[in-house]
Amino acid sequence: MEFLRSIYNWIDVRLGTHEIITEKRTGYLLPRNVNAWYSLGSVLLVIFALQVITGLLLMLYYVPDIDKAFDSVSFIMTEIPLGRLVRLFHAVGSSMMLLVLLLHMVSILFMGSYKSPRELHWLTGFILLLLAMGISLTGYLLPWNQLSFWATTVATDCVSSIPFFGESIVEMLRGGKQVGSHTIGRFYTLHVGMLPAVIAVLIGLHLFLIQRTGVSTPPFGLEDSRNQWKGKTFEYEEHPGGVPFFPNFFLQDMISISLYLACFMLFVFFFPDMFIPSISYVPANPLVTPSNIKPEWYFLANYQTLKLFPSEIIGLTVQAAAMAFLAFLPFIDRDPEKHPLKRPLFTVSAIGGILLWIGMTLWGLYS
Amino acid sequence: MRGWRIILILLALSAMPSTAALAVAPQVIVCIQCHAAQPGRLSKPVTLWQTSIHSDHGIACNACHGGDPMNAANSMSPASGFLGVPPPTSIPALCGGCHMGVTKHYMNSAHGIALGRGGPTCVTCHGSHAIVSASLALIDKKNCSSCHTFDKALMIRKAMVKTDRMLKAIEKRITVLKSQGIETDPLEMKLFSLRNRFHAMFHSLDVTLIRQESAHIQAEIEKTNGAGGVGTGHLVGVLAIGWALLAALLFSLIKKNID
Repeated sequence: MEFLRSIYNWIDVRLGTHEIITEKRTGYLLPRNVNAWYSLGSVLLVIFALQVITGLLLMLYYVPDIDKAFDSVSFIMTEIPLGRLVRLFHAVGSSMMLLVLLLHMVSILFMGSYKSPRELHWLTGFILLLLAMGISLTGYLLPWNQLSFWATTVATDCVSSIPFFGESIVEMLRGGKQVGSHTIGRFYTLHVGMLPAVIAVLIGLHLFLIQRTGVSTPPFGLEDSRNQWKGKTFEYEEHPGGVPFFPNFFLQDMISISLYLACFMLFVFFFPDMFIPSISYVPANPLVTPSNIKPEWYFLANYQTLKLFPSEIIGLTVQAAAMAFLAFLPFIDRDPEKHPLKRPLFTVSAIGGILLWIGMTLWGLYS
Repeated sequence: MRGWRIILILLALSAMPSTAALAVAPQVIVCIQCHAAQPGRLSKPVTLWQTSIHSDHGIACNACHGGDPMNAANSMSPASGFLGVPPPTSIPALCGGCHMGVTKHYMNSAHGIALGRGGPTCVTCHGSHAIVSASLALIDKKNCSSCHTFDKALMIRKAMVKTDRMLKAIEKRITVLKSQGIETDPLEMKLFSLRNRFHAMFHSLDVTLIRQESAHIQAEIEKTNGAGGVGTGHLVGVLAIGWALLAALLFSLIKKNID
């Protein structure tokens, strides 16, 4: 014990670690009415870390070549000790990451945490959602099975609807007219290099913004639930007498992470077929189209919306408008009220929007 | 509009396999091209062959009849090895070119000894063009009783039922394992080997030998039970979930204490 203390002191006198722990963590106070939804950010950090670790392990054996990709994934699944588990962790983890990211954004929406001065927090979060969808899409193709090949063909084909540049963008993405050897190379580079780097930078920026402004106060349990930000000068949102991050909220983070891991492992061990159906074990064959092929669940609403409109441009414009509205919501919604029950128009619209998205996803799935 | 375009692209692509397959599949050979277009009995072998196990495995006309399947002018020339209809006495040797183990047992059996004296050849039971693979269904009263009584054939069939059922169970297990992405190649090779041994041995018509060999094969099959499975996957899952929930409970209790 004395030995450990001496090591701690040795580091402390050089780096001031004690100050970091006491002032930045124990002294870092969160709102008194902080709730469990606030821990979803930490859950997302754990998921991202798990995706990076499992991704790096898969890279040891994966070969990004159309003639070897499927066999290398089969080899990982069947020959490498714990390979099947690592692959399942990675595949299930990508869907879970998007699911938790969506839940995180929904909680921010209903608690009004995107309001001033946190417009940039929301915007970086929104870009992170798009990047997470991008990294999932690029990773989905890599096993080079029938499902991944055809789902990627359908998903990338949607981009061709963009007027004037659509076809060129699709060709740039695929590296040719069809999904093929150039596509797997491009998707692999994006999946393991570019997108993780950009995501890591944006996560850093997102956390930096939270550190600079302080954590927003939830609107629940307060008499005055309006946004207190004045907007004249920079102001750190203090929470005097609040909940210390360490150990109190750190423990809440740990509870949420543990519960997430329990749900995650439930899918990994008992329902992996939901994420890797049996058709995923058939090598990609560009000449044999499986029936009723669909993009991944997070693209189903977009896929169905495009099918719904008689014109591609209308379908695409509607989606672009909806995405732009969501991205710039903090700049559009200037109402200082944060409590969902005190802003019924917003709450009804938000619930309607979520139900519409779920409905379109289910319609896309069963159509 | 866009939906239609995707459908058209997918339809066009789905039409491609047959075109592409033609480039490599036996359908491209001149025998099929010519005979399929002929009326009546001349096209019948093609229709029958298309339903056969040989067709499933890409074994085409020239494998038995010889000739040059890629050259229309010389396809039926004796110089290119064309045999025409093989004489019955040469059939076991012809089939034995590929099915070696079977021929050895057959030639030593009562069937083989009677070859050329009215005894059955391979095609008597398996067919000549609509060739069917070996199965217990072939040992039936109607087939066997056309030459002799069914008693001994029935004894042989009974001796084979259990092993046959066990081999079919492995086949089913392989399908399930494949659908879970589990490597089945070693198990499939084992099944292939055992099934061949089992089918070959039947052709000896020696009930004692069949019983002995069946017992050996059954013992081999027993050894494959559990091979390729994920084993303790669910148990590990229960433990992992249990640990995660226990950790959540523990953190929750500590938090309650601190709050």
